[in-house]
Amino acid sequence: MIPHLISIAPFGHLDFWLGVGIVAGIYAIFTLGLQLNVGFTGIVNLGQAGFMAIGAYAMAILIVNYGWSPWLALPVATLVAMLAGVIVGMPAVRLRGDYLAIATIAAAEIVQSTAQNAINLTGGNNGLLGFDAAWQTIQIWALGLLATIGLGQMDQIPLFALTWITFGALLVILFTLQHTPWGRVLRAIREDEDAAEALGKNAYAYKIQSLALAAAIGAIAGYLLALNITLIYPGTYSADFTFIGFAILVLGGLGSYSGVALGSILLWFVLEGARFIDLPLSADKVAALRLLIVGLVLVFIMALRPQGILGKREEMVLRG
Amino acid sequence: MVGATAIVVVVLIATKGYQPAAQATANGLVSGTYFALGAVGLALVFGVLRLVNFAHGDFLTFGAYSALLANAFFNLPIIVATAIAVAATAVLAAILELAVWRPMRARRAGGLQLLLIAIGLAFVIRNGIQIAAGTEPRTLHVDITSAVSFLGGIRLAGIDTGRVIIATWLVAGALAGLAGVLVAAAVGVLTPQFGFQLLLSLFAATILGGIGNAYGALAGGLLLGLAQEWSTLFIDPRWKLAVGFAILILTLLIRPNGLLGRPALK
Amino acid sequence: MADAIFTVRDLVKSFGGLRAVDGATFEVARGSITALIGPNGAGKTTLFNLATGFIKPDRGAIELEGHSVFGRAPHTVARRGMGRTFQITKALAAMTVLDNMMLAAPDQPAERLIGLATHAFTWRRQERAIRERAMELLERFRLASLANAYAGTLSGGQRKLLEFARLLMTRPRLVLLDEPLAGVNPVLGQQILAHVHELRTEQGITFLFIEHDMEVVMNNADSVIVMAFGKVIASGLPSEVRRDQRVIDAYLGAHAEDVA
Repeated sequence: MIPHLISIAPFGHLDFWLGVGIVAGIYAIFTLGLQLNVGFTGIVNLGQAGFMAIGAYAMAILIVNYGWSPWLALPVATLVAMLAGVIVGMPAVRLRGDYLAIATIAAAEIVQSTAQNAINLTGGNNGLLGFDAAWQTIQIWALGLLATIGLGQMDQIPLFALTWITFGALLVILFTLQHTPWGRVLRAIREDEDAAEALGKNAYAYKIQSLALAAAIGAIAGYLLALNITLIYPGTYSADFTFIGFAILVLGGLGSYSGVALGSILLWFVLEGARFIDLPLSADKVAALRLLIVGLVLVFIMALRPQGILGKREEMVLRG
Repeated sequence: MVGATAIVVVVLIATKGYQPAAQATANGLVSGTYFALGAVGLALVFGVLRLVNFAHGDFLTFGAYSALLANAFFNLPIIVATAIAVAATAVLAAILELAVWRPMRARRAGGLQLLLIAIGLAFVIRNGIQIAAGTEPRTLHVDITSAVSFLGGIRLAGIDTGRVIIATWLVAGALAGLAGVLVAAAVGVLTPQFGFQLLLSLFAATILGGIGNAYGALAGGLLLGLAQEWSTLFIDPRWKLAVGFAILILTLLIRPNGLLGRPALK
Repeated sequence: MADAIFTVRDLVKSFGGLRAVDGATFEVARGSITALIGPNGAGKTTLFNLATGFIKPDRGAIELEGHSVFGRAPHTVARRGMGRTFQITKALAAMTVLDNMMLAAPDQPAERLIGLATHAFTWRRQERAIRERAMELLERFRLASLANAYAGTLSGGQRKLLEFARLLMTRPRLVLLDEPLAGVNPVLGQQILAHVHELRTEQGITFLFIEHDMEVVMNNADSVIVMAFGKVIASGLPSEVRRDQRVIDAYLGAHAEDVA
């Protein structure tokens, strides 16, 4: 993707924007997990990228190293990620808010460090390839269908569709869960854990469930990310990924699942739209500029409009 | 604690030989020193403000790059550059207090807000440095025999909380700046991400010592540095960072109060 | 005591060097309305927190219906039938009044993920039953018209009533009320006390309440427990306790004129 001068019709580059849409969708799915944890349970999960990595690596290792079928590897890898969520959660969830944040980020760093150093298992910094054979087949079939309506050249469409359909499905599931008694207990715990406990609710168990579900959602985001870049390597699953997720979270608004989509699309529109502005900066400095923008989003939203775009003022209970 | 350390050193010498043990210990004390300096700043800010400053690692980066600017660009002697690093980082910390933290406290911002603001500021600082200085590794030429003076025992006798808070940030920033220069000297190369990469180790040191306790952070930093370097005698050095994280996790699991600090469980 | 629903024996809790509860021992008779009184700092709220699992005791015994609840988690104690209110009302402000009530209903399989799966078609029916019961209780406390309002919009007095009504949804056998009349106007206070008596008579619920107003205690309590300096220094009928020299001494300098 080459930077252009400010173009009158940047939207003519549909293929480019589809690519952006895929990234936005992946981040949106990732951030659904964060919303469940932060917005609806009150736990600050700074380790979401670690769960994403565990899911993606588990999937790839099962397919590539052990020859499993993807249809089996995907659910099993998701269960592995959920198990990781439980294991991390069991000690972490007992800790005070900021300690919980540190514990989760430490867990994620351990995952990333292991991915880099356990070379025999994970391929180290070279990563893993070749897990996406099944998807390639599906994609060819899908492009064949698209060709019948003249869109066979838009090779981003299948993944774009898969990503946003997945987002939609997860959105419906999470929204439904929120409106069950389970969701009600979760909301109560987020607002006042002691009150919920006094009413017979085991806050500890619910928080771990929330973390395990978020880990599963993170894993799903990880699979789509892996399909997008066709490679699984440690650098992808960094703390920065989680922080960008948080920027999306607060931009869309705490307590709003649909806000997550809005936040992600908006943020990525801004970040990628910046490519159309010709800047006298080298590529890595442009990358830094984008992250700087993310930082500013975090600071300004939290300082000036903590409920974000779609968050509700009366639902803002910010815990310390 | 000193006794236990001495015993460990003796055991290491016995099992791995004098040269490797001594080298590892020396390395451990060096990294332990900058861990300690960074951790003390973290502990001070937490102790006074109950704020976990996720931007602290990037204060170290800021300090190191300030020294780089002074030394490599303006050709100032390294001691002057270090002093500039210390002052500049202290000023940065104070500016952030006045421009960001104080107004947020006035608005009764909650813990999550402050946490994410700190993370956001961290992004701004380290990526700002990256935009200014680029990602290629730099070296800072530091004569290690330069005196490293350490500010011990700060007496905060003031009733004026505003001044106490500013003083805390100035000290934390100054220590961070100094630590940043030390890292540059010890490690040899600088990149804009290095401070953030150190942050977890700084958290580990602070929590190990007992969060909010400056002396604990000092001890925690030294212990962490030693533990990480000693581990390289037994396992591949590339797992060094993971050792630090493991210590952090173990501390949170077994003794979240750290060696000297306040309760961490709800 | 013939039928003690709740007993505490030699209970101790220290915070650092301070003994907040220092060997407290007492019993609460089933079906009684018992007051827990004592000067500030006597350890009354700490005792409540220890009894309901919010603080872990150091040693001693705590028994509910003959079974130990020493060191159990708050949710376990609540499920065993001991409910409580808090000194500062914990109405869940960001949830509606009705949600507050329905939350409290016990034995809801749909509150568990597995339960949602196994009861996929029946949980909504249970929700309707719970809603009916919740509305009945809200009617009783005259909060029914506020069912869909966010609890955060209620007045202080209404929140107290909500917390009480919500607690009753859990079908408690023993209710601990932490200063139920604090910050409440006298009319509302009388209503709350009336509810306490009705519930005791109708359903045999036992009440243990912390209270500072001696007149309220004299007029409403069957039995009084007096705490000072972390110990129980006297217990018995209100008329006996008010004449007890140890009690008078403990209050000396505080509310001597209330007790005399």
